[in-house]
Amino acid sequence: MTDHDPALRLTALSKSFGRPAVDKLDLTIHRGELYALLGPNGAGKTTTLRMVAGLLAPDAGKVEVFGVDLASDPAGAKQKLAYLPDDPMLYAKLKPTEYLEFVAGLWGISAAEAEPRARRLLEWLDLAKHAHELTEGFSRGMKQKLALAGALIHEPELLILDEPLTGLDAAAARQVKDLLQEHVAKGGTVILTTHILEVAERLAQRIGIIQHGRLIEEGTLDELRARSHGGSLEDVFLHLTGQP
Amino acid sequence: MVHPGSALWLLKHEVRMYFFNSSASKSTNSKRGFNKRALISFGILFLGMHGLAYLLLKGLPVASEPPHQLVVIVTLAMGALMTMMMSSGLKASVEVLFERGDLDLLLSSPLPTHSIFVVRLAGITIGVSSLYLFFLAPFAHMGLALGHFRLLGIYPAILSMAVLAASLSMLLTLALVRLLGVRRTRVVAQILGALSGALIFLLSQTQSKAMRGTGSWFSNFFGPLMEPGALLGPASPFWLPGQGALGSLVPALLLSAIGIGTFVLTARFTHRFFVHGVQQAVSAVRVSKAPAGGMRFHFGRSLPHGIIVKEWRLIARDPNLISQVLLQLLYMLPICFLVISDGKPSLPGIGASLAFLCGSLTASLGWIIISAEEAPDLLSAAPARMATIRRAKLAAVVLPTMAIVLLPLLWLATRNPLSAGLMLLLLLAATLSAALIVMWCGRPAARGDFKTRGKANLLGTILEVLALVGWAGVSFLLLSIAEQPVASLPFLIGAGVAAGCTITVLAVAYGFRYRPG
Repeated sequence: MTDHDPALRLTALSKSFGRPAVDKLDLTIHRGELYALLGPNGAGKTTTLRMVAGLLAPDAGKVEVFGVDLASDPAGAKQKLAYLPDDPMLYAKLKPTEYLEFVAGLWGISAAEAEPRARRLLEWLDLAKHAHELTEGFSRGMKQKLALAGALIHEPELLILDEPLTGLDAAAARQVKDLLQEHVAKGGTVILTTHILEVAERLAQRIGIIQHGRLIEEGTLDELRARSHGGSLEDVFLHLTGQP
Repeated sequence: MVHPGSALWLLKHEVRMYFFNSSASKSTNSKRGFNKRALISFGILFLGMHGLAYLLLKGLPVASEPPHQLVVIVTLAMGALMTMMMSSGLKASVEVLFERGDLDLLLSSPLPTHSIFVVRLAGITIGVSSLYLFFLAPFAHMGLALGHFRLLGIYPAILSMAVLAASLSMLLTLALVRLLGVRRTRVVAQILGALSGALIFLLSQTQSKAMRGTGSWFSNFFGPLMEPGALLGPASPFWLPGQGALGSLVPALLLSAIGIGTFVLTARFTHRFFVHGVQQAVSAVRVSKAPAGGMRFHFGRSLPHGIIVKEWRLIARDPNLISQVLLQLLYMLPICFLVISDGKPSLPGIGASLAFLCGSLTASLGWIIISAEEAPDLLSAAPARMATIRRAKLAAVVLPTMAIVLLPLLWLATRNPLSAGLMLLLLLAATLSAALIVMWCGRPAARGDFKTRGKANLLGTILEVLALVGWAGVSFLLLSIAEQPVASLPFLIGAGVAAGCTITVLAVAYGFRYRPG
């Protein structure tokens, strides 16, 4: 592992569920970058992210997180990343404080580090006043924000988010977007998938478009536009994926 | 042809939903409700019941008046049926009010709210009565064919009991909503439903096992009460249900009138609360008071400690789940009575029973903690070693059971240290075996599927039972040796064989361990 290693490098990554979900995917994401992975439904975005998070074993290929091979040193690779799926990984009968205590324990964070971070995150995400309530009574947005707090409690260098804005109201979505930008401004790396193309358009430094498990185009928004003869990201996306 | 939007059309939908929900696990994608094959099977079984009823009734003389003894038996049986109907009714009330989630849709439709409530109540009644009518109606039909016209009383008896049970269940559930709020009502109603179902079972076991030898007390107490002219004599209204079920016209009419009256009164006086109160209660945001002193954290626990605390918290905050676990143990008690009640309670009998019960409790906890993990992806995405997480979960599974038996073991240690030590080791073996089988053979599941866990993983369940029976046998034989060293060799050989079989079961479980794709 060196300082020159990218935040994430996928080499010929493949996964099949009867038919190929991810097909020899090569992808490199640089440090300090906010990368949006776009694609139509069933393109292989979630499967890719789940393999990166260590939740699915690839059939072939390699995942390197900051130069650490996920297959040979899973603990080392996972220590640096956080994964937030669209369905938050929460416990209905835990309170937010208890949830954060548990997540901090999983990542081996000391009390001295975890407590101020937990306070700051809960305050910032407007969850402090609900800290004594069970999460089962939370709205979708509150659950998503708590899961985000859990993902950030160990200050991951690489944040992987699958549809992070699903079901959030405008204010909560704004908070999440601000948080992601702040994470990147501090040198962190973010990969996100989204169907809201305006989000990718506004936030992402680079955009990758995936279809049938393969990366069909990648670049900055301007580069993608230039290659697709202009238009909005929506036009570019629909043009590249061959959708009407 | 039922006109869409009519009460009958809604009732058809209601009945279909009732059977959909009771026929299969909600979290699986398996086919639910009645398919063609199931309907044909039910039809054949129903015809078979007619055949059985014919054979049973064929030789019976046609009686003009049923003997009082028969009336007593039928009334008591109806009492038992009523508790079971109440159990189903409470579960169905919770289901239709809070779990099905279609009230908003129905109440926003142009259907009259009164019709919606009446249909919902009628749906519960049909659901509650269907099982009993399925098995008992053939006796009414065959009775009619063979001249036992009185058996037609089965229909008004079952239907009026079902109406009564459905109405009382709905009233109780709505009253609980008013008193306790929705969240607690769901838990309390589910527990009450389970308990009322278990009540009759408990009574029968208590009567037949625990109170053996006290039959004379019963006859001494109830005998005079059942004499003609006494409180429970043949003319007492207490026996009306039995008389009605056996075809006496006036009691049958009275039963029907009580059923219809309860239904009408329930629909009339509670429909408004059903429409507004329940919806308001469901939508109400429950805000509990924040504790003084702001947020309190307890960071810095080791990972195993953190996992154990988390698991115990999740269980402790789920009274419905706890009640289901305890009820499962309750249903196992008769197995223990078999060992204990053979003469006086003996140490080997107690040891064998404890091994089985502790193993069963551990298996239930194991399913909740290991198989029904709510956020498996969180654990998999964490850098923590999976072996550490598994060991911590095993500890969380085994420790509560061992804590429960610690006190009796300490008591035994003061009297018979050798047996206490031996029992401790055997209970540890039984609980660990149960936990390991769940860990190896368990399939990911949702906590709500606790009651169907056995069906969902048949292999695991069979191995679990075999291992527990094995450890119960080993416990019985070894503790018998500890009590009476005379003639210990056959017991020792038997214990060795039982232990060998149990270890083989464990090896099979390991061989068939679940490997996620």
